[in-house]
Amino acid sequence: MQAKQFDIKKWAQNNAIYLVLVAIIVLIAVKNPAFLSVRVFRDILMQSSTRLIMAMGCMFVILSGGADLSGGRMLGAAAVLAGSLAQSVTYANKFFPNLPELPIIVPVIACLMLGMFMGLLNGLVVAKLNVPAFIGTLGVQLMIYGGVSIYYNMEPNRSQPLGGFLKSFSTLGTGSVFGVPYILIIAVVLMIGCHIVLNYHRFGKTLFAVGGNQEAARVSGINVQRMIMLVYIIAGAFYALTGALEAARTGGATNNYGQGYELDAIAACVVGGCSVSGGVGAVPGVAIGVTVFTVIQYGMTFVGINPYWQNVVKGGIIVIAVAIDVRKYAKKR
Amino acid sequence: MRKMEKRMTALICIAMMFAAGCGQRETTAPAVDNSPAAAETAESKNQSGDKPVAGMTCYMYSDTHIANVRNTVLGEAENGPVAVETSDSQFDVGLQMNAMDAFVTKGAKYLVINNINTNAKDQVIDVARRADIPIIFWNTDSPSDEEMESYGPCYFVSSAAEQSGVVQGEAAAKYWKEHPEADRNGNGKLDYVMLMGQIGNYDTEMRTKYSIETVQEAGIETNCLLEVVCEWQRAKAQDQMASVISANANDIDFVFANNDDMALGAIEALKAANFFTDESTYIPVLGVDATKVGLQAIEDGTLLATSLNNPVTMGKCIYKLLELLESGQEINSENLGFEIDGHKRVWLDYVAITKDNIEDADLSKYQ
Repeated sequence: MQAKQFDIKKWAQNNAIYLVLVAIIVLIAVKNPAFLSVRVFRDILMQSSTRLIMAMGCMFVILSGGADLSGGRMLGAAAVLAGSLAQSVTYANKFFPNLPELPIIVPVIACLMLGMFMGLLNGLVVAKLNVPAFIGTLGVQLMIYGGVSIYYNMEPNRSQPLGGFLKSFSTLGTGSVFGVPYILIIAVVLMIGCHIVLNYHRFGKTLFAVGGNQEAARVSGINVQRMIMLVYIIAGAFYALTGALEAARTGGATNNYGQGYELDAIAACVVGGCSVSGGVGAVPGVAIGVTVFTVIQYGMTFVGINPYWQNVVKGGIIVIAVAIDVRKYAKKR
Repeated sequence: MRKMEKRMTALICIAMMFAAGCGQRETTAPAVDNSPAAAETAESKNQSGDKPVAGMTCYMYSDTHIANVRNTVLGEAENGPVAVETSDSQFDVGLQMNAMDAFVTKGAKYLVINNINTNAKDQVIDVARRADIPIIFWNTDSPSDEEMESYGPCYFVSSAAEQSGVVQGEAAAKYWKEHPEADRNGNGKLDYVMLMGQIGNYDTEMRTKYSIETVQEAGIETNCLLEVVCEWQRAKAQDQMASVISANANDIDFVFANNDDMALGAIEALKAANFFTDESTYIPVLGVDATKVGLQAIEDGTLLATSLNNPVTMGKCIYKLLELLESGQEINSENLGFEIDGHKRVWLDYVAITKDNIEDADLSKYQ
């Protein structure tokens, strides 16, 4: 037996994403040292929270070997639904003029139900109709956007942005306890929950099996169809929760909320080490992936970098991170 | 046999969705502060074919202003001599051109185009020229004088996009002169953050440019802290603004936003950073659109000013043009009721809205 030598190259390869994150922070801090402050740290955690919940939903789908392009629109649908149910009675332009003040749990639960229903649609299309996930979710996404636009254009709202939310609802997105924002707490709880389910529960093991090799999973007696349906339903619930929280956090909602967020979520998962072919990935990685993108976006505005460059850097990081990742697994095989 | 059944079920499903979609068309377009029945009759009548039809494209149905103009026009069409059919270009030049062709093929007698094919206006006019029918451009940037002259029945109805910027600039200049304390870092310059819509978008460019130019013309020195692209989105504006505040908290004198939603996002971020707690932590934020949430913010004392691109006036002007064209009269400012210039253009005004005249943003006033 030879003593295992410390291989710096291998170590760097395995932890590339952390190195990238540190490098970005150092670069920004050199340009403007004020970046290293509690306030910035808090902002970044808060902005990452909702994105992380969304990305975790997406992670389930990616782990199963699927793809989901409907997340952003589901978020928008949930934001509008939550917004329309959480308005205070004194607000002059209510979506439902005669709706009494509801406890905030009602819009949140309504959103979750809607999310699971929309996820079920995805699941049916992908698992039962055998439409490739990429195309299936693209179609569902369009249907959802159309549907929410019809809802949003109803009398008397007629496509006006929603506002005038109940104080208790907004507090869900902006409030904090002992200085820790509620949305951060929600994100962390979900993170821990997902981590446990993925690593210590049968569901997680089955999911990795399905994602790793669908045929093998089927032959060994796993109900693959059911798993895929479940995965999309879970993802839908996560997206919808994000939508409700985004509405609460921003104090408004329109049918364009969440547009393009699905790609951010997929990028965060992939940069965080999820394999797009399924079966590989972990919650901490996704959390780091999300944080990297938040830091980039926040940091570049912080030091005043031209928005065109933000896109160049974001795109570059996606490509590089995945290139390194692919190498990592190629060697293992 | 089972497979066959499944296929039939799928086909029936699609047919039903299609039917639902078609049926929907008659009821989706309620007029502004009118009964929903108005649009229904307006659109169903033209199917019986007893009225000439105008084909109207909208760049995006979900845009509040566009939706209101469309609803106004459909409402007017209810009792007017011309029926109106509308189509959604979904911000896609190709879809707009397809819709125009479809209208011509269906025998529309007028084209009413919310043009987004702004680099090829002559081609848009050509569609009407080939079909030999009048065309009205609305809520877009204008074709050149030559293009307007090149085709007789080519008209133009829009508000001047730069005005929405000018309104912001005027409000900012007024506030700056009345409130010396607005210069928070005391450098004698108006330090501002600009929250922009989409890069390359005409409104974005006009609003960004003219708001600041107007401030400068009032003799005020300006300093741009940062221009941030937030793509009209409230959430993006809120996130980006949080970062701007961390970097420049003591320097921000003004926030200009290309629309109300981004202005409101900025206000949320400012609130989270302990601004807007009392008069000393007030930062003037300016929007455009006079959305209902925007007006609420003006009432709450957070948003300083916004401007209204009046959809009711615009819709009525468009329909009046159609009426005059249908009756065959020569169109002039007098019978149109709006000032029309030598190149057949009608320029409508943006209405500046502040706390003092918030009632001017109530659309029912213009019915």
